Amino acid sequence: MTMPALATRSRSAVWRRQFLLQGCWNYEGMQNVGFAYSILPALRDFYANRPEEALKAVKRHLEFFNTQPAMGALILGASVRLEERVAAGETDPRAIGTFKVGLMGSLGAIGDSFFWGALRPMASVAGALLALFHPLLGIAALLLIYNGVHLTVRRRGFAAGMEGPEGAVGWLKRAALNVRTDDRKLLAAILAGAYAGVFAGRFLVQGGGAPHALASLLLAAAAVHLFVVLFRKAVSPSEVLLFLLIVGVLILWR
Amino acid sequence: MIWRFLLAILLGGLCYLDRTAACQLMLHRPLVVATLMGAVFGNMAAGAQVGVVLELIFLARLPVGASIPPDDTGAAVFGGSAAAIASSSIGLDPGSFTALLLLSVVVAEAGKTADRFVRKVNVRIARLTAESVDRGDMQAVEHGLLAGLTLFAVTGMVLALVFSGAGVAVSMELLPRFGPASRGNFAILLPALPLLGAASVYSCSRTERTAAVFFLTMAAVFGGTVLFRWSA
Repeated sequence: MTMPALATRSRSAVWRRQFLLQGCWNYEGMQNVGFAYSILPALRDFYANRPEEALKAVKRHLEFFNTQPAMGALILGASVRLEERVAAGETDPRAIGTFKVGLMGSLGAIGDSFFWGALRPMASVAGALLALFHPLLGIAALLLIYNGVHLTVRRRGFAAGMEGPEGAVGWLKRAALNVRTDDRKLLAAILAGAYAGVFAGRFLVQGGGAPHALASLLLAAAAVHLFVVLFRKAVSPSEVLLFLLIVGVLILWR
Repeated sequence: MIWRFLLAILLGGLCYLDRTAACQLMLHRPLVVATLMGAVFGNMAAGAQVGVVLELIFLARLPVGASIPPDDTGAAVFGGSAAAIASSSIGLDPGSFTALLLLSVVVAEAGKTADRFVRKVNVRIARLTAESVDRGDMQAVEHGLLAGLTLFAVTGMVLALVFSGAGVAVSMELLPRFGPASRGNFAILLPALPLLGAASVYSCSRTERTAAVFFLTMAAVFGGTVLFRWSA
């Protein structure tokens, strides 16, 4: 059987649709409807005159799926390439499910750590610091820092996936996201230190001399340390805020 | 005031869509949303002030797997609109600012409950989609996704209306009931909030290398800020 062609228009449609991967996020299949929706234009091309097989292919992609949304682009691209091979009779359809299940967990963990644990905190704290000069400067910094990397990972990941599962794995190795995660975490920590320093200097030191300033710094550092310890003990920021709110109400009551 | 609420619903709905269902371009971050809401309700700078603090506070809760973090977008809708209205009436003094930030936690938890509800309804949509595909209707996938997106968007717009309304009501009705002296007492809690945000980022980015770097930077910037204030 000859390899069915993927029209450029369909490839672009799959690329655009990946941004709606979580459009119908649900507790059962999670991103399953979004994944099936994203890959649908490619399936229509590959199974143009074979409606039964097209339906089977759609059902394959309605199985449970969940990963970090930006990393989903890589799996989506590779799945398109695998579907092409299945449509040409070169690969067993079960290989697609195995590939997706095998990759979604590990890519989810890498993506969560990189995007939610490193890049987003770094962009957020950079934006918050620059917003002290002008709100729009802060917003621009937040959006540019985050999306510069986010959209690049989506674009390159999708392109690497389109080279097939081998291309996807090769790109993952070259991208070295674990090293980049550590670098961004370090930057986030530096910026968060600066943020804490600015606010502690502003709010805690209202007068007095050097000893008072030093005591304020130590108090602020102890407060940060206490909050981090609480987070480690599974106390959420909401619970801390709620506690402070109750303290505030008691102060008003008094 | 009606057109302000309409604009808040429209912008809030868009930001809520970005939160989960579409794109994740960070248009839903508190810094962006609170500034927008501040601009809509008449004082962009006041909204941004709230956004700067709220931006970091909830970062420690990651949207991993099925776990849903507190709705910091909703907190920003509330905080941004409330700050803008307060600044034009009683003034955004440190006490009011602290009260708004602390009250936003109630909104964040309410928004999280709404988010859970949407995702539960989506289970039904996903099941219906699968059943339609079983019957041979491939287009059901597109309809299912559209239904999910619509649900996220409508919920976002309703939440934006409710939370901005709550923000306006708090600033117009609740805060003026307390005198400046009472509100001043509340401000004693203010320094804890940015430090909570910094701790949130620090706990996300904690590795072997980062602890010393965090505290050294904090001390250096603190020293610089204090010297600058003394010399000014």
